[in-house]
Amino acid sequence: MMPIIETKNLSKWYGNVLGLSDVTLQIDSGVTGILGPNGAGKSTFLRLITGQLKPNIGTVKIKGKKVRNNYSLFSIIGFCPEQDCFYDELTGWQFLASLLKLHNFSNDEAEQKAQKALEIVELSDDKNRVIRSYSRGMRQRLKFAQAIAHDPEIMILDEPLNGLDPLGRRKIIRLIKTYQREGKTIIVSSHVLPEIEAMTKKIILIHQGKIFAQGNIHYIRDLIDTHPHIISIKCSHSRELASKFIHEDYVLKVHFDIASNSLLVETNNRDKFFSQLPSVLIENNIKVDEITSPDDNLQAVFDYLIGK
Amino acid sequence: MDMKIKEKIAFFFTSMRNVFSFFLRLGLKTKKTKIFYLLSFLPILMALIIKFSQVFSNGRQIEGIFIFSNMIMVFYLQFLILILALFFGTSVCSEEVEGKTLTYLVTRPIPKPAFILGKYSAYTLIVILMVAVGVIFSFVILNVDNLLDFSRYKIFLRYMAVLTLGILCYSSFFMFIGTFLKRSILFGLIFSFGWENVVQYFPGSTQRFAIVHYLKSLLPPSSGGRFSFLLFRLEPSSPGMSIFMLFLITGIFLVLSCVVFSLKEYILDD
Repeated sequence: MMPIIETKNLSKWYGNVLGLSDVTLQIDSGVTGILGPNGAGKSTFLRLITGQLKPNIGTVKIKGKKVRNNYSLFSIIGFCPEQDCFYDELTGWQFLASLLKLHNFSNDEAEQKAQKALEIVELSDDKNRVIRSYSRGMRQRLKFAQAIAHDPEIMILDEPLNGLDPLGRRKIIRLIKTYQREGKTIIVSSHVLPEIEAMTKKIILIHQGKIFAQGNIHYIRDLIDTHPHIISIKCSHSRELASKFIHEDYVLKVHFDIASNSLLVETNNRDKFFSQLPSVLIENNIKVDEITSPDDNLQAVFDYLIGK
Repeated sequence: MDMKIKEKIAFFFTSMRNVFSFFLRLGLKTKKTKIFYLLSFLPILMALIIKFSQVFSNGRQIEGIFIFSNMIMVFYLQFLILILALFFGTSVCSEEVEGKTLTYLVTRPIPKPAFILGKYSAYTLIVILMVAVGVIFSFVILNVDNLLDFSRYKIFLRYMAVLTLGILCYSSFFMFIGTFLKRSILFGLIFSFGWENVVQYFPGSTQRFAIVHYLKSLLPPSSGGRFSFLLFRLEPSSPGMSIFMLFLITGIFLVLSCVVFSLKEYILDD
């Protein structure tokens, strides 16, 4: 069966800078996550497969047809760009309806579809406000709405969860899963593993313009889980908390910072640590101000994996 | 004609119309348009001041149509239409690249030439409206005593037609440079106030390399007045040739803009 999206030896340079190198992929329907740190080449890949960029080497095909300058394909593609860019003078409603009219929908159809998309992303109440006055999260939702408004078969979403609050994120994730069940092809990029994990099990890891790994989430999870994680906890009784964990075999190191009243824990089993932490905190009545995972960024994980 | 080709042509024009309505609506709302509307109202203010000073002075009155001709020569033909065409023409492509909104347009099922031609038509119409408002009001204010003299309307219409042709021609040229140059405004300023201002005064056929030569060749014979030095050394082309050349230049740069926009890769900086 013909893959929905197919790239062969896809490479792109920006002058002397490598954007993407020798990417050969086949993407079928369902959700595919493109995961990589900032600057890894995710956006370059997505712009190449939507024909916005010309590859230096290689080919891109969607449903067996070349993409660049093949405008008819865009009636089945929805693209959500990463950049926060809009026609700020328009209202959310005008923005959506105008873009839908560029799909050659009649005025009535365009308005119906715009209304539906605005309802989906919960912007109906603010549809008559100019985009300039929208918050970051609202702008992100509007960007998402323009990608789904024409009900495309293929959705290409570049960091769609950026700038959204946890509720907004959950809502978009749920939507993406719904589209998956409807048989659509969705490509989502992100630099946050848990975000991708929440949407799909099919992941492509991209780093320094190259496909670093590709496959099921569990395989990639296994790769990542072998990497020790550092977790920082700011709390009222850091020494007491440390004493509760120090004997655990999955805790490798504990480091105090008295000045900031925080504690750094290094663990080789992040999931287990996080599953035990709430009960320890409750039992010992320890108040937590902040939990961060300074090491829990993809760049660190990639550096670790490549070093390996 | 083959049915498929007919359908494709119909689709092209529908797409162009959709792009046109989108950018006409958007163009009328932008800050840039509002600022340039104010600039285009300056001649109205000037006309009002001149008229008031005439009313309250007892000296010899200068003919309204004479002042109007001078205004067209100095302010509109040599300055305003160039500036408006430059800023609106170059922005057809460059504002989409700089604002990174190009991504929304190139991922729609519209042929790229339809986008270029649709947005060009919208912006050119906005510029023509801007100029027309100023020209109409200035004409009425300066000729308020002779509004029943219909020969004046002929002159007015001729000036208006020349300015419209100028806007069409300059806008297509500036749109073309906006499709492939990053610093298109700078190049446009050099062209407008360097090349166009100098080459038109060269003797012989060299002056025919300036667009303004063809525009000046179309002006009514009595044009110039106090500023007749602006017609210095003009060796006019025939009206037919001038109109043909202006349409030819417009057509060439429209086609070139479509070709460049379709083939060029625009990298939206992160």
